[in-house]
Amino acid sequence: MKITSYISVAYLAIFLPAALLLYTIIPKKARPFVLLIASYVFFWFISEFLIAYLIFTTLCVYLLALWLDKLKAKRKTLLEGAESKEEKKRIKTKNTRAQRWIIVFGIVINVAILAVLKYSPFFVSSLNTALRFAGVNEALAPPKFMAPIGISFYTLQAVSYIHDVYKEKIGADKNLGRVALFMSFFPIIMEGPICRYSDTAHALWSGERLHYTNACFGAQRIAFGALKKMVIADRLNVFVTTAFKDYEAFDYDGGLVLLGAILYTVELYMEFSGTIDVVIGSGEMFGVKIPENFRQPFFSKSISEFWQRWHITLGTWFRDYIFYPVTMSKGMKKLTKKCRKKLGRDYGPLPASIIAFFCVWACNGLWHGAGWQFIMFGMYHFVLISLGALILPLSNKCLAKCHIDRNKFPYKAFTILRTALLVCIGEMMFNSRGAKDSINLMRVLFTKFTFKSWFDGSVLTLGLDPHDIIILCIAIAIVLAVGIMKERGISPREWVAQRPIFVRWPIYMALVLFTVVFGAYGAGYIPIDPIYANF
Amino acid sequence: MDRLIEILEDIQPDADYETCTTLIDDHILGSLQIISLVAEIEDEFDISIPTVEIKPENFNSAQALWEMIQRLEDE
Repeated sequence: MKITSYISVAYLAIFLPAALLLYTIIPKKARPFVLLIASYVFFWFISEFLIAYLIFTTLCVYLLALWLDKLKAKRKTLLEGAESKEEKKRIKTKNTRAQRWIIVFGIVINVAILAVLKYSPFFVSSLNTALRFAGVNEALAPPKFMAPIGISFYTLQAVSYIHDVYKEKIGADKNLGRVALFMSFFPIIMEGPICRYSDTAHALWSGERLHYTNACFGAQRIAFGALKKMVIADRLNVFVTTAFKDYEAFDYDGGLVLLGAILYTVELYMEFSGTIDVVIGSGEMFGVKIPENFRQPFFSKSISEFWQRWHITLGTWFRDYIFYPVTMSKGMKKLTKKCRKKLGRDYGPLPASIIAFFCVWACNGLWHGAGWQFIMFGMYHFVLISLGALILPLSNKCLAKCHIDRNKFPYKAFTILRTALLVCIGEMMFNSRGAKDSINLMRVLFTKFTFKSWFDGSVLTLGLDPHDIIILCIAIAIVLAVGIMKERGISPREWVAQRPIFVRWPIYMALVLFTVVFGAYGAGYIPIDPIYANF
Repeated sequence: MDRLIEILEDIQPDADYETCTTLIDDHILGSLQIISLVAEIEDEFDISIPTVEIKPENFNSAQALWEMIQRLEDE
């Protein structure tokens, strides 16, 4: 059996029900093992022999965390027995140094595996380009490696686990099975969210029995995710692929490129958040609360807020393991203190923050893929977020002078639209074939901009007929309505659950029928690979 | 505690630090303010705030911040 996506018959109709059935019929004590075996079987289906990398990373962080714990215990015992201050200091220095070596080794080895498997062809081809520019005719052959699906996700989980043990946020787990399940739980292994040990590990290993409410809510979440992916994302894919492939050959204007960028952003959101709905719904069925990865990102009023609502677990990972460690390092703290004295309250923390933003966005760009377009995508966000922080005090003063209220609807609507447009331009770079293509798209967008193609029928030549457009509008309106409810603090699922049965069931049936009738699948349908599984 | 409130008011004047318990959750304090706050607190109270302490529970209210400072002073 080959599983290429969570929104597939193989997963939803065979794998998940089989895992749920096995989980239900066996005793509580054995349930975690069912989840672990199911997770490894799932990983075998998606990556076959490359499962060895996952096993290595799991064993590596498991053993190193135990070693760290042992060193911490030894330090405590030695400090209790120490008689002088000097001796205590010597013990602390020696022990801290040993712990540092372990954490550095643990991070370097796992990041190195990721770097070699995923980035070495990119590094070698970039080196060859640099050599060519320098006049050297020798070129190195780019290496070819097979990387397991989900390596970018589970590597970050591994690093967070060992780092949290080092920082004594959590204790090292002696149970190898629990660490292995935390690393490999099948709903999250392919596309995240990036979980922390303290979020999911113990819930996964508890072997809670299935509950009717969890199963219902989980199934509803899965159905909603399927609607997003099958009705919206897969339908938009035809348009987006054609628009981005043929824009030069058919001399598209900037308007069509912009429409391609907007629809690609919608596709990416529906595809990724739809898959995450299936992931969270699957976890919910087993009684495990998987962290949310999206919080209505298109209601954001700034790029910085957008990244607190889009791929949340990646953003918080970078915040906790890169942004704060950089800004809170001794040197950066000194810089902040100095700058606060010289530049004042508003601009004082900016120099340290901008350095940290650069580190975060360089890593964020590279994490998304090995290519210059991804680095450009990261740098684009670095510039926007840094500029946003730089001009915020000034814009606050201007708004106050012009008596414009940030919280009033017109200004809010303006900032939401501005942010959405900037996000779409970023995603356009993201979907390009390389840095050159990315620059070309920008050139067409800004030098040949006209809305002519939106109204002269060109849009209908790219794979979407009027019938598709109506279905897309209805489906997007449903997703938007759910988003608005959530923004207002209403849980759509609980709202529907509280309606009388003759209202509730027609809503469920209508959504399922809508997905079944208008979803892209069946004979002649070529499944579209999940975009984020490749990262 | 009074000195802590003074520092908070200097960094972000638009909040009622006596009552507010959602400084992080409601985005009253953003990452830039936290960087300034950590630098000021470390200077003022002669403590070192490790990165693991930078979590919403410790920064959501002046009271929580004060408890963290006292705990770090004792260590």
